[in-house]
Amino acid sequence: MESAVLKGRSLWDDARRRLLRNRAAVTSMVVLALLVVVAVVGPYLAPFPFDQINKNDVWMKPLTGGHLLGSDALGRDLLARLMIGLRVSLAVGVVATFVSLVIGVIWGAAAGYIGGRADEIMMRVVDILYSLPFIFFVILLMVTFGRNFILMFLAIGAVEWLTMARIVRGQTLSLKQREFIEAARAAGLSRRAIVARHIVPNLLGPVVVYVTLTIPGVILAESFLSFLGLGVQEPMTSLGSLISKGAQDMELAPWLLIFPSIVMVVTLMAFNFIGDGLRDAIDPKDR
Amino acid sequence: MKAWRTWALAGAALGGLLAAGCQPGASRAACDAGKLCYERGNVSDPLTLDPAKSTTIGEQHILGDMFTPLVQYNAASEPVPGIATSWDTSADGLTWTFHLRESKWSDGAPLTSADFLFSLRRLMDPKLASEYAYLLYFIVNAEAINGGKMPLTALGVEAPDPRTLVIHLTHPIPYLLRVATHSTMYPVPKHIIDKYGEKWTDPNRWVSNGAYIIKSWTLGDRIHAVRNPNFYDAKSVCIDEVNFHPGSDAIAVERSVRRGELDSANDIQSNRISYLRQPDQIPDYVHVGTWLGTTFIGFNPAIPAFKDVRVRQALTMAIDRDFITQKLMRGGQKPAYTFVPPGVASFGQPKPPHWAGWSLERRQAEARRLLTEAGYTKDRPLKFELKMRNTNDPQLIYPAVQADWRAVGAKASLFPEESQIAYSDYSARNFQAADIAWIADYNDPMTFLYLMKSTTGPQNYSDYKNPAYDALMDKADHEVDLVKRGQYLVEAEHMAMEDATVSPLYFYVSKNLVSPKLTGWKDSLSDWHLTRYMCFAGHKAAEPFD
Repeated sequence: MESAVLKGRSLWDDARRRLLRNRAAVTSMVVLALLVVVAVVGPYLAPFPFDQINKNDVWMKPLTGGHLLGSDALGRDLLARLMIGLRVSLAVGVVATFVSLVIGVIWGAAAGYIGGRADEIMMRVVDILYSLPFIFFVILLMVTFGRNFILMFLAIGAVEWLTMARIVRGQTLSLKQREFIEAARAAGLSRRAIVARHIVPNLLGPVVVYVTLTIPGVILAESFLSFLGLGVQEPMTSLGSLISKGAQDMELAPWLLIFPSIVMVVTLMAFNFIGDGLRDAIDPKDR
Repeated sequence: MKAWRTWALAGAALGGLLAAGCQPGASRAACDAGKLCYERGNVSDPLTLDPAKSTTIGEQHILGDMFTPLVQYNAASEPVPGIATSWDTSADGLTWTFHLRESKWSDGAPLTSADFLFSLRRLMDPKLASEYAYLLYFIVNAEAINGGKMPLTALGVEAPDPRTLVIHLTHPIPYLLRVATHSTMYPVPKHIIDKYGEKWTDPNRWVSNGAYIIKSWTLGDRIHAVRNPNFYDAKSVCIDEVNFHPGSDAIAVERSVRRGELDSANDIQSNRISYLRQPDQIPDYVHVGTWLGTTFIGFNPAIPAFKDVRVRQALTMAIDRDFITQKLMRGGQKPAYTFVPPGVASFGQPKPPHWAGWSLERRQAEARRLLTEAGYTKDRPLKFELKMRNTNDPQLIYPAVQADWRAVGAKASLFPEESQIAYSDYSARNFQAADIAWIADYNDPMTFLYLMKSTTGPQNYSDYKNPAYDALMDKADHEVDLVKRGQYLVEAEHMAMEDATVSPLYFYVSKNLVSPKLTGWKDSLSDWHLTRYMCFAGHKAAEPFD
């Protein structure tokens, strides 16, 4: 007997197919995967530790003295620092985005589903936080809790969740009117169960898209903080602080600006293409 | 969104960035036609405009233009008559009589010796809590008054008539004329302070007696000052207006100077000096010379680890000063193992600590041993935070210091701050270890060695309290023979260095970028440049009235 069960094509299968047909997105995924591998594994394989000061190698040009990408004003190997910087920037991007995802989805879904007074109050809180200048808020957090690497993740995440909450609330409001929610309600499911089982899974599409677009935003925010001296501190580094140091000495050691900039641009582009690809794939209406 | 739209957006963003990068930027500040405006770069915004409270170099440059003391520096930084036209010293050197010229405050009120008397009493007033009061402790009863043990009127200063000021000293001060140029000796306007109290420094009601008066202060942007028509020598002043622009990033400032937005800047990132001196760069802008100053690390003794002399010694020994001065900065700075910089007058041959001649390997091995002995091991490393100025040279060198410390098993984290904020934190002892630069207030070892005297107060950053040191300093104070005095001071310094109360890093150089259009700039040991002596090429002093 041939199997009579015909496997249906789910919405996700369609989405995957569409995504894989998007050449920019696929290339970006490969590039990003490579960057992640380099950021995770690279520092262990580098000939120099990222914080090792090589006293005779101040401002070596690329390909001299064993420094593939040259060295900085303290004689530290740029390749090693670049890999560590990439690792830090990616980590900040992912962790902060995750923080914003958790807060944003819970807040937005709750506000949207409960509605009424609670929604009003919760969204006004978002509005108020929105009106605080981002940098001001982060600096306040840093001053209150001290300068701390982990805190920076949280601080950025704690600011980035606002947009997420709005998007999720909007989606929830429209989902709430759908028949399957009516059905769930009729079946006697608790409010919490409905939000957890039915609302949140159906939010996945827009949320995933927004996440891939948030990560590069967070990486940029971290660069900005590092530029102001509020980000990671020496000898640790990030793409942003590498670029800001490189920009200072660009007449004397242009490689210190060029290589980190290339890596930064490639990373941000990859995330953006993936985000665009996902949006096209998950929400075909937009095409 | 279609891919082409992404590309278009990316292109637009990139174009925007490029456009932003290529813009001429903020151009030179507006200057009224027919006026000469000096756009002066200054390392930091002031924390205060009160000369009795001022401590930072950034403040001193501003206040120097606003006030004229009894004795002032000329363009070449030699003491010359200021408000005092002449002075006499008693045979025992303990009484100085200054004869004042007739002069006015900028609001037209007469300036008399009573103003100086008031200013000195105010400086010593414990309620004012001036950090710099100790500088004038050589005035009779000053220390007791500042300690709250005597009334202000007991101060050994008299104003027998409006044009005479008499100062009584506890011991002869060979460098008195140089101290007399310092901001602690600036007269402050009693009639304004009586009216407004401590708010008298508000730029809206600014009154001073120097060549310029402050008109406005926009925090982070500029302090705007114009010439004072009531200045006693106003006819010799050439530049009409001076704007002090704060900028802690020496490279950004350097670019402003190149674009002509600033006429001078008083910091250069050291490792760029040789580049700027190349013929195709701006060699005629670069002014680098010996400056009497020391950069050192202070240890807050409230931190238990820093109470242990072994810890301080280990941290001091472990630093590779040759690498810092010769490879990182390359600006002519000298490695420092002692505190008083070379070039300071009336000092003997300095005696570095016993380990100064050792190789770096031996020093680092010894440092490791000392730290272990003090109870800090690999599993329980010494951890602390070093607060530092966010100017360029500290940012360049402290990662190297940090690495040297890591090599001997001490983990330091770096905490950069705007320099004026950093210094106020240092004075409040809100730090663990601190990056401090000390510039001579006058050319004598005392300006450095007083910092470690137990009576000095907030500027004794490591709160060094050593009765033997104090005794040597007192002995030096009362020694008339300059050679012997120098010997006592060398001994005192050696004592403090063996105790590693502070960790000297390097001796300073002055680093200025000066537009060749600006004339009258003279390099000197004190790196002191009053605007009133400067002019622009092709111009000369004009009558000061519109």
